[in-house]
Amino acid sequence: MTDEPTRTDGGTDQQPTAETAASPDPSSEPLVDSSIDVEGRDDTPSMATARSVIEAKHLDVYYDDVQALDDVSMEIPAKQVTAMIGPSGCGKSTFLRCINRMNDLIDAARVEGELFFEGKNVYDPDVDPVALRRQIGMVFQHPNPFPKSIYDNVAYGLRIQDDDDNLDEKVETALKRAALWDEVSDQLDKSALDLSGGQQQRLCIARAIAVDPDVILMDEPASALDPIATSKIEDLIEELAEDYTVVIVTHNMQQAARISDKTAVFLTGGELVEFGDTETIFENPESQRVEDYITGKFG
Amino acid sequence: MAAPEQDTGFGTGTSGVSRIRGTAFEAVCLAATSFALVTVLVLLLFVAADAFRPLSADPGWHLVYFLTLVVPVLGLAVYYYRLDAPAGEVAYSTTGIPVVGLLVAGGMLVVIVELISVIELFALTLATAVSAGVIVAHGRVRPQAALERLGVIVLAPTVAVFGLPPAEFNTVFNWLTTQLGLGPVLQTRITSLRELVMMVPVLPADWLLLLITLTVPVAGLFGLFMGRRRDSRRDGLALLGGTVVLAAAGFVLGPLVGIGAEAWILATSFTVPPLAFYVEGVVRREEGTAGLVFPVVAVVGVLLGAVLVRQLGFAAPDPWLDVGFLLSPTSRTPADAGIYPALVGSVMMMVVIIVATFPVGVGAAIYLEEYAPSTGLVGKFVTLIEINIGNLAGVPSVVYGLLALALFIRFINMPTGSVIVGALAVGLLILPIVIISAQEAIRAVPDSHRQASYGMGATKWQTTRNVVLPQAMPGILTGTILALGRAIGETAPLLMVGLAASVRLAPNGFFDLGAAMPRQIFSWSTELEPAFRHGVLAAGVVTLLAVLLLMNGTAIVIRNKYQRDS
Repeated sequence: MTDEPTRTDGGTDQQPTAETAASPDPSSEPLVDSSIDVEGRDDTPSMATARSVIEAKHLDVYYDDVQALDDVSMEIPAKQVTAMIGPSGCGKSTFLRCINRMNDLIDAARVEGELFFEGKNVYDPDVDPVALRRQIGMVFQHPNPFPKSIYDNVAYGLRIQDDDDNLDEKVETALKRAALWDEVSDQLDKSALDLSGGQQQRLCIARAIAVDPDVILMDEPASALDPIATSKIEDLIEELAEDYTVVIVTHNMQQAARISDKTAVFLTGGELVEFGDTETIFENPESQRVEDYITGKFG
Repeated sequence: MAAPEQDTGFGTGTSGVSRIRGTAFEAVCLAATSFALVTVLVLLLFVAADAFRPLSADPGWHLVYFLTLVVPVLGLAVYYYRLDAPAGEVAYSTTGIPVVGLLVAGGMLVVIVELISVIELFALTLATAVSAGVIVAHGRVRPQAALERLGVIVLAPTVAVFGLPPAEFNTVFNWLTTQLGLGPVLQTRITSLRELVMMVPVLPADWLLLLITLTVPVAGLFGLFMGRRRDSRRDGLALLGGTVVLAAAGFVLGPLVGIGAEAWILATSFTVPPLAFYVEGVVRREEGTAGLVFPVVAVVGVLLGAVLVRQLGFAAPDPWLDVGFLLSPTSRTPADAGIYPALVGSVMMMVVIIVATFPVGVGAAIYLEEYAPSTGLVGKFVTLIEINIGNLAGVPSVVYGLLALALFIRFINMPTGSVIVGALAVGLLILPIVIISAQEAIRAVPDSHRQASYGMGATKWQTTRNVVLPQAMPGILTGTILALGRAIGETAPLLMVGLAASVRLAPNGFFDLGAAMPRQIFSWSTELEPAFRHGVLAAGVVTLLAVLLLMNGTAIVIRNKYQRDS
């Protein structure tokens, strides 16, 4: 087990290189080639050996009689960024909310099929969704800090888990990891609602990582933000992927291409059309529908 | 108001018409609001004029007080308003704190006179303090023993306050065993510390006990704050010592100014420490110190006016609403009639109503909004319940009186006409209103905050407790205030459960025969003598309104505090 994550990390290191190569850099040409080669060679074994944290098997979700997800099966690898793209209403958010069972909160939602987290089906009757959500954090589309102080926001998760030792230290660590510490360190007892939108969203990320989850789910985290705040969030996501498994839903295809290692494309009807390495999906998708969607002919 | 914004420069016929319509609508709204306000104001002025009878005084009396009190006070107010806003704030607080303190002291005095004696209060306070001390000491000595700690937390207060087993439990248990033919089984019990204290044959005088049970803790608390703020234990002790000396002086001074030593001690304990604490803060900040002049000017104005009026021989007004009215029971002669038993009864009923309806109402609202399922058979049932709560809010109050009569008096056998039955009848009436307003407030909390909390792995209760309730609390309190305002004025349910028209003695407990202000006012309105209908009635109405305003004011202060915190 100790070997495999290392190898996965190696793969992650390679991929951003390939992506940054898209920027105008004269020496980048050979890198792209070699990295694609590396991908080509290493991909199949890494797919086989990369530890998958989340695995969906024939997942169907219905809201009353409307089917929102149709027979979705996919494996989400550990410590990488997995992006989900697709048109509105295609079920990508629904899938995300299946992972930490947030759909339980909607009375009308019904889930069939299996979804494994660390090898355990989260829809087994003996799984406590509360305990599950403590390992799978979530960041929402609109920044939703509580109307409390910045400190209390970050400490919220720790307090509800009775994890009160060294609270100050943990809050500071979380804010630093969310790249917010420098901006707020002298105003921790100010209301979180006084922050700007981008700061609020980073605060929400700090709040999610303060409890040190294994997985962070992000539901269009930058869609309500301006380009500068968005780029900060994107940088942050790439950093977070070193320690956490990040699953992100986004409408923005460039964003998915920039930050993700794997991409899943959902299309209308809750169907997972294609899932694979981001580069493959964006440059050479198997499905014609995916190509149409990505090139903007559809959706 | 909005007209200039709409003016896009393309003014056509339609936009002109709609603008006129908007202006007309605005004017009509303004007129309606002003009309309603003026009507209510005129009515209140008439009632107040009846209650205070300002015209019964000599014009000279009015002139003297106008010159000594009204002119300086108004002048200062205008000065603060125009030139020195922080001083205005200080003036407002330094006048308000003693008033609130005196009201609390008055309430406490009524509690001591009517509900529990000073000795009982002393014993209760001592027992509570000792048990709290035991719990704290145990926590210090053995911080790890959680289970043992739980035992101590349960046992210490029980032994100290109630005895083991509590006397009431013994009575009920022995009654049961006697019924079963076993005779009284429980003969021995550990007597509580409270009872032991009350059994001591020689106890200090009431005023000394009061000094120990009330003055020392209150002054000590403020002394602690003061000591912390000034970083000097000596200053805190000075506040404590000063207050105690001043309060103890009541033993001599109280009777001299015509009030009992107890009243003096209560008044000083609840006014001096908070006032000293506040004034110290103002002086230290050196902001708005000019405001400290205001209460001095007001007091000097009153004293000067009193001296002048006496010297010049002007007749003071003879109001229906005076101290005598507040402190005496009703009577056959209008001049002696008072509202005291009804006032005490109404306040006690308010306490019962708050204790009974607030937790139940808010709990029901939390269940309906946060826990109840919205789909399936249960969901349909919940919808039915919600609709019916809405209907219940509109059921006439007489019907609630009938329900209370059947439920509490016929079925549970509570004493007819007692404070608790009246309070529960009115409580039933306002329960739906409390539930609905709490539901509205809870519904107004954005769902995204709940999602965020659940997403962090919070349980439903943690989410409700830490996220939903703090945000909903101002709204819940507003709704409850409105409901309580309705409760204090309700008469019909009280008639149904047999509350006496007039009671000569204030209730000494919640199961005693009680009177209520609206009931008392109603019975005055049927008196033959015109003085009852024109004078005493008006005084009663003003008292009722004053209590209502006081209650609402308190609730608004609490609500604002919640709003600031969240």
